[in-house]
Amino acid sequence: MSALGAGLHRRITPMSVLLGVVTLLLVGVLTFAVSREVTTTSPTATVAPSPRPSRPPLEPAEEMYMRALWPIHADVERSVMRISLGQILYKTEDLSRADLKTRIEQALTSYREARTRMHALSPPTSLRHDHDQYLAAIRLFEESATEAMQMFKDGREEHLLAAYPKSQVASDKIREVGGKFWPNEFPPN
Amino acid sequence: MVRKLFRITTILGLVAVVAGLGSAPVLQARQDDHIGNRGNNQLPPQTLRSGFESTDQLLRDVERAERAPLHSVWIVESSRFMNVPFGGFQPDKAGLNTTVDLPVNVGIIEGPDGTLTLYDTGWKQLAYIFDWNTSCCWKGIRDQMVAIGLEPDKVKRIVLGHGHWDHAGQLSEFPDAVVYIQKEELKQIDFFLNYPVDFNAGHIRAVNTVDPLTGAQVGPPEQACARTPVCGYPPQTVQEILGKVLSGKARIIDGRHEITRGLVIHPAFRGHTYGSQLLQVNTARGQIVFGSDTYSSWTGIRDWLVANIQQTDTVQQFLAYEKCYVLTSRLFSFNNCVAAHEPTAYTSAYPLTANWWNIPNGNCSRAAELILAPGKPTHVPGNPDRNLCVDTTPPPHTVSP
Repeated sequence: MSALGAGLHRRITPMSVLLGVVTLLLVGVLTFAVSREVTTTSPTATVAPSPRPSRPPLEPAEEMYMRALWPIHADVERSVMRISLGQILYKTEDLSRADLKTRIEQALTSYREARTRMHALSPPTSLRHDHDQYLAAIRLFEESATEAMQMFKDGREEHLLAAYPKSQVASDKIREVGGKFWPNEFPPN
Repeated sequence: MVRKLFRITTILGLVAVVAGLGSAPVLQARQDDHIGNRGNNQLPPQTLRSGFESTDQLLRDVERAERAPLHSVWIVESSRFMNVPFGGFQPDKAGLNTTVDLPVNVGIIEGPDGTLTLYDTGWKQLAYIFDWNTSCCWKGIRDQMVAIGLEPDKVKRIVLGHGHWDHAGQLSEFPDAVVYIQKEELKQIDFFLNYPVDFNAGHIRAVNTVDPLTGAQVGPPEQACARTPVCGYPPQTVQEILGKVLSGKARIIDGRHEITRGLVIHPAFRGHTYGSQLLQVNTARGQIVFGSDTYSSWTGIRDWLVANIQQTDTVQQFLAYEKCYVLTSRLFSFNNCVAAHEPTAYTSAYPLTANWWNIPNGNCSRAAELILAPGKPTHVPGNPDRNLCVDTTPPPHTVSP
């Protein structure tokens, strides 16, 4: 055995062989992990977003109109929510029939007042369409609530179901107009 | 001597690496399984009695679910919030002063009988979202499902993680599906609707939380939704839920509820809203847990950071994180928690969602296949488009003039 061979023999012990194997294994695992990470799906390109439309500055008349509509909007939304949840909680037997009736009556009053208050507003030409949309929505809410009130006359709960489509369309309308006028009213949630 | 020291250090290092690779996750939650017999003192003081589930109870649900059939799971991006301040999403990172794009994810779960369950439904698009908002990529959920090879008419259940507008819209798109929502979620809205707004400048409000013209939040300083109990529920969204109730297609539940074998609702009250709920799904990669905005951020679950706090009790959010850690403790741990707004979703940084692709004709919205039941064919296209993009095409109006 040469001097080199004897030196190697002294250094190659079972422990060092085991160490070598484990080290090689770990290096292998690491290499696999790194290569997998590099090749795994990831965004390969980004299309630059085009500029978003920005809201043009409001005319003074527009600003005044929106400011006047805001408290009306608040009352309408609250009334719609109270009726909607009132019906749900009535169905789950968490609200009495009498309490539901009270809620619908209060909402009807609120809608009529809102309509009167809106008729007193003078929308600028640019917002006339939105004004008409909002008024139409209030009328639909009124019709829906009136239909729901029938339940307390003949006892048939089907009136709630019949009343629903109008209030659904109306709630879409006020969300549409409200979202345009006050885009941050319901922020990302 | 130096060689010996080097050898010992190497061995110790290797032992440490091997031990680290092999160690099992340790459950930290207390093992209190006899709440009823011991009285209230056994509950952590911050815990709401209603909706509390012990670690043992959760583990029993894991055992039961593991004997149930396996489900296939996808998520789709209903839309994307663009340029959201990071601090608004994760308060601990407010100092970064950067913005972040947040997907709004919807879960789609296919059961052994082929029927589908949705977890959340995204938002109901109207022109306003596009006109002045900074959102991107909205596409109707039915169209998204068809584009990825799933049949919308097979949707038989919808579990609402919570009732906010960007998660509970489009319910009316699935007239035959039964909606599952917590009663607690509905009662909180009702309570705050009746809260007096003329007291103390109306700092607590159900709706109308902004100044009409400036868009600034009402109340001291910029209280935003985090301190406004129910600012995320427009009448339109509650109407959608009402429609389900009136047509007999709603299950208003209170706490834990097993929908079917391998599909379990867990309450996460005040984890994001008062009536937030999780969904445990049995799959081939163990239990997957959907969390909506209670699990707004997956990295938040991983790193124990509160996120998107809204009406959150941060302790309850952490307890809800822990529920996911418990339910997934046998396989993949927190990697199986599904977040609604995780910014790294649809990338390899969030491994569960790494198998993603752009939905064809989907306005840049994305889909990801999380796991398939054995024998089920993949829905990922052969040559998937994985170029991240931002679409600004205006959606059509859905309200007739």
